[in-house]
Amino acid sequence: MSQNPTMHTTSLCPICLRKLEAYMYEEDKSTYMKKECPEHGEFKTLVWRDTGTSMQEWIRTKERAHIKNPITKVEKGCPYDCGLCSAHRQHTCTALLEVTKRCNLHCQFCFADALGQTQDPSLEQIRFQFETIFRVSGKCNIQLSGGEPTMRDDLPKIVALAASFGFPFIQVNTNGIRLAQDERYLKSLKEAGLHSVFLQFDGTDDKIYKALRGKALFELKKEVIQNCQKHGIGVVLVPTLVPKINIYNIGDIVRFGMQHSPTVRGVHFQPVSYFGRIPKEPSHEDRITLPEVMHHIYEQTDKMVSLESMQPPGCENSLCSFNGNYLVEDGVLKPISKRSCCTSQPSSATEGANKAKAFVARNWSYQKQVQEEKLSDWDKILESIQNRTFCLSGMAFQDVWNVNLERIRDCCIHVSTLDGRLIPFCMYNLTNKDGVSLYRDNVAER
Amino acid sequence: MENQTKEVKWLCDKCQEALVLEKVKVRYLEGNFEVELLKCPTCKMVFISDDLAMGKMLEVEKGLEDK
Repeated sequence: MSQNPTMHTTSLCPICLRKLEAYMYEEDKSTYMKKECPEHGEFKTLVWRDTGTSMQEWIRTKERAHIKNPITKVEKGCPYDCGLCSAHRQHTCTALLEVTKRCNLHCQFCFADALGQTQDPSLEQIRFQFETIFRVSGKCNIQLSGGEPTMRDDLPKIVALAASFGFPFIQVNTNGIRLAQDERYLKSLKEAGLHSVFLQFDGTDDKIYKALRGKALFELKKEVIQNCQKHGIGVVLVPTLVPKINIYNIGDIVRFGMQHSPTVRGVHFQPVSYFGRIPKEPSHEDRITLPEVMHHIYEQTDKMVSLESMQPPGCENSLCSFNGNYLVEDGVLKPISKRSCCTSQPSSATEGANKAKAFVARNWSYQKQVQEEKLSDWDKILESIQNRTFCLSGMAFQDVWNVNLERIRDCCIHVSTLDGRLIPFCMYNLTNKDGVSLYRDNVAER
Repeated sequence: MENQTKEVKWLCDKCQEALVLEKVKVRYLEGNFEVELLKCPTCKMVFISDDLAMGKMLEVEKGLEDK
């Protein structure tokens, strides 16, 4: 076992959800997490496959942030007091609000386990949630999620409500079916103040959609992008990466996104995680880790995107994500981000959160096209930064097998609950082996 | 910046030559841009005023800054 403190953490039992000591250790160029429950035995999970980026070199430390107005007290200890509690170490960068449990797809993988027939939260209920988000987290970015949020006819009203609080960036997380078919609806979302569409986009080949979503959806995704271009809404492509299904397609997804820039602002890869609705208990082969995603981006773009251009995040825990920023120039991505070589100095978590919030609001929104000749040289650069930038990022959600409570405490994506609490995203969605959740199903309407 | 170029003549201290406005290539990692800047015709040294460095140029830097 390693004596390295970054390799020693706490996790949960996948069966009884009790807190367990956990160790991460290297074996054959991979890093595994091992933990043992006195009742349910030992669990070993793959957390990092070293494909040119070692986990030790990747890790960055931060000086923690302090939540100004915590909602919950520390009583039972992490992760049983989420709300946010005073021990949480990062501010809200994005607050996520589930506006419905209904959905018009029935996906094999769904972290929200959506298909419920429950009643949608009322506009008054949603106003209450925006109020609490605003009080605790100030002007953070907002993502409206579900279920499928476009199942609600009054979604434009919800967007307008969010805009009335002054939240700087409002995004809808969607499969795009309605946005492709109902242009008037999309137009009303734009008029209400929508900046960006977080579009489920698993690949450029219909066999991928058939495997993951049960039907061919590629043509429809293209229509969404066309409609968003017409109405000036930025699109972020969000592929769920599943081994043996769409890993081969990573390079084509990047090229497709780039070809549809500046409407498509970037690609945000989400390696599959195992909570909510999943087909079976995962094996190591069922996982793709962040360094592998970066390696595939590098290889499958014929080295156009260098590994060095993809860097650890300044906001959330470094094991949670990577990001790179590029300029689209003559059909090629030119990096304007670079991994720093200095890892000794901890950076400020608060500063990281502020930068990440501003970056997302700026780079994931559609930018107005201005006639070039009217601009000075420096303004032309500003304009091209806004319109020609393209970002690549990936975020690894945690499930009950690989959950690392250090990462939970550093989380900046918080789900707003009906009773007004804010729960770190992975903790909200995490379920035990039998689908039992600590938070998702245990929140009553106020 | 524009005002300065009209009202004040800048001299290169080393060459004692008047600076002239010229297109200069600016690079940020692998992003290439072209801007007009005051430059010494002899030693090619470029002059960036406080106003520019703390104004538009800073704005550009922030725009390029990553997460």
